[in-house]
Amino acid sequence: MTRVLIVDDHSIFRSGLRADLDDAIEVVGEAEDVDSAVRLIAELEPEVVLLDVHLPGGAGGGGAEVLKRSADLFERVKFLALSVSDSAEDVVGVIRAGARGYITKGSSGAEVSAAVATVASGDAVFSPRLAGFVLDAFGAVSGEQAVHDDELDRLSAREREVMRLIARGYAYKEVASELFISIKTVETHVSAVLRKLQLSSRHELTAWALGRKLL
Amino acid sequence: MLVAGVSEALAAHLGWSVTRVRWSFVGLSLFGGAGVLLYLWMWVFIPLDATERTPVTRSFATSAWLLGAGAVAAMVAIATANSETSPYFLVLLTILLTGAAVAWSIGLDREDPSKGPRYRLLVRSFSAGLLVLTGVLLLLSRGARPDALTAVLAVFMIVLGAAAVAAPSVVRLWTDLMAERAGRVREEQRAEIAAHLHDSVLQTLAVIQNRAGTGTEVARLARAQERELRDWLFGGTAPTGADLATDIRDLAGAIEIDFPVRIEVVATGEESQAPAAAVVAATREAMLNAARHAGGDVSVYIETTRSAIDVFVRDRGPGVDLTKLPADRLGIRESIIGRMARAGGQATVSAGVGGVGTQVHLHVEASDD
Repeated sequence: MTRVLIVDDHSIFRSGLRADLDDAIEVVGEAEDVDSAVRLIAELEPEVVLLDVHLPGGAGGGGAEVLKRSADLFERVKFLALSVSDSAEDVVGVIRAGARGYITKGSSGAEVSAAVATVASGDAVFSPRLAGFVLDAFGAVSGEQAVHDDELDRLSAREREVMRLIARGYAYKEVASELFISIKTVETHVSAVLRKLQLSSRHELTAWALGRKLL
Repeated sequence: MLVAGVSEALAAHLGWSVTRVRWSFVGLSLFGGAGVLLYLWMWVFIPLDATERTPVTRSFATSAWLLGAGAVAAMVAIATANSETSPYFLVLLTILLTGAAVAWSIGLDREDPSKGPRYRLLVRSFSAGLLVLTGVLLLLSRGARPDALTAVLAVFMIVLGAAAVAAPSVVRLWTDLMAERAGRVREEQRAEIAAHLHDSVLQTLAVIQNRAGTGTEVARLARAQERELRDWLFGGTAPTGADLATDIRDLAGAIEIDFPVRIEVVATGEESQAPAAAVVAATREAMLNAARHAGGDVSVYIETTRSAIDVFVRDRGPGVDLTKLPADRLGIRESIIGRMARAGGQATVSAGVGGVGTQVHLHVEASDD
């Protein structure tokens, strides 16, 4: 059983999602604004927090503010961002604030459940659109490529391939069989890209973050 | 002579000739100016003919003549200023005529295409010059000791002259300020509405989609509505002008309305010089095929670099075997493969990864020129 906290200001959405999630997920609580979310996360320490990007309360920072105020729990609590849109503006902010992935609110219960399981096991959830944004933001389309694996501002050739396949709608399993690598390796690459997305100071990324006052 | 079009409107209304109406006004004016008053009263209160707004060209340069008359009055006033009688009547006349010239040029000549802004500026500068010059000369009359009334009128003239110069910029500043304030209010209102719709309607549409399940009529409607609303809410910040990705997104949106399918379009890269029309048409055909024969989730990935365009369309349907397609089925052969070949590119249709579904890959290089 994965213990999950749902944070969203719409009660209809919370109850709908709660009913749709599969049996391997136990919803331990619900929160509806920034302050109650921060309090419940510290109190309950759920394995995964389903976090709405747009939240009222607190200092007005929404989901990103919840992440910042719960940063000391990142070892034990993983965050999966839920967004009504999957535009990069909405999502890159919460990812940089520490979310392990995001999923749109239009996704079905099964899709959310699968994403929760992925995040709970320590991996990242990338949607096709986020992968597309990453390819653009790291200049991978125009041919920039990391020389060393630890370079934060560029993608390695393998990471680029993985991102391109995810952008084309491939599941991790399909990426693995297409590139003749194991699923574990795919997940490692995705996590590495997520880390770069969170830590890189590339101009495009910081511009996004600055534009949304997240730094 | 056309003044404000009152006679013409009245003539049209009464079925008289315009000349007859005009002479009636002139005749009435002889009775203590009744005609002039009636004319002005009608000018103010008769609503404008909304249908007809053709610009009026007046052959008679009224402002210039008024100004000329004002100048003559001013000269006579200055000439008589040194005599014993105070020329206050002439001074008043100068002020009235010059003021009328400026008012006419600003109010009535504005819509006259034959008298441009240059003409108006000329009338205004001459009026201002005339007023100031006359005022100064009057103040200097009688060895710089004019009688009280003349002095007051002269100072008034100088002030009016200065006002005639400054008035348009003040008016413009004021209108700009008002327009800017109105714009800001509108923008604030729009932002407020956008925030409200984002927090309420968009969320509800998302809930409807995930409760109804992919491909159902309700979910499709909700998705189409969501896309439209999102375009309206955030369209202002997105770059306008059609590019490849926008075209394909629009097509995908149209297909989603007609078929039980969810098309996810992801675009990366920059503007390309490659010929895009064939790519858009072929992509449309590939998306239509996927929608018709596979349904469910369809992924479209567009990658544009400076040297080439790549488009991938994949579905998770039953798949297609090109060798087994009947010869009369032209969708893939002609509309996708043939079209791309004619545009100097290539199209590959293959089974998706793991043998699931179909994958169409379109590729075209940028032309050298």
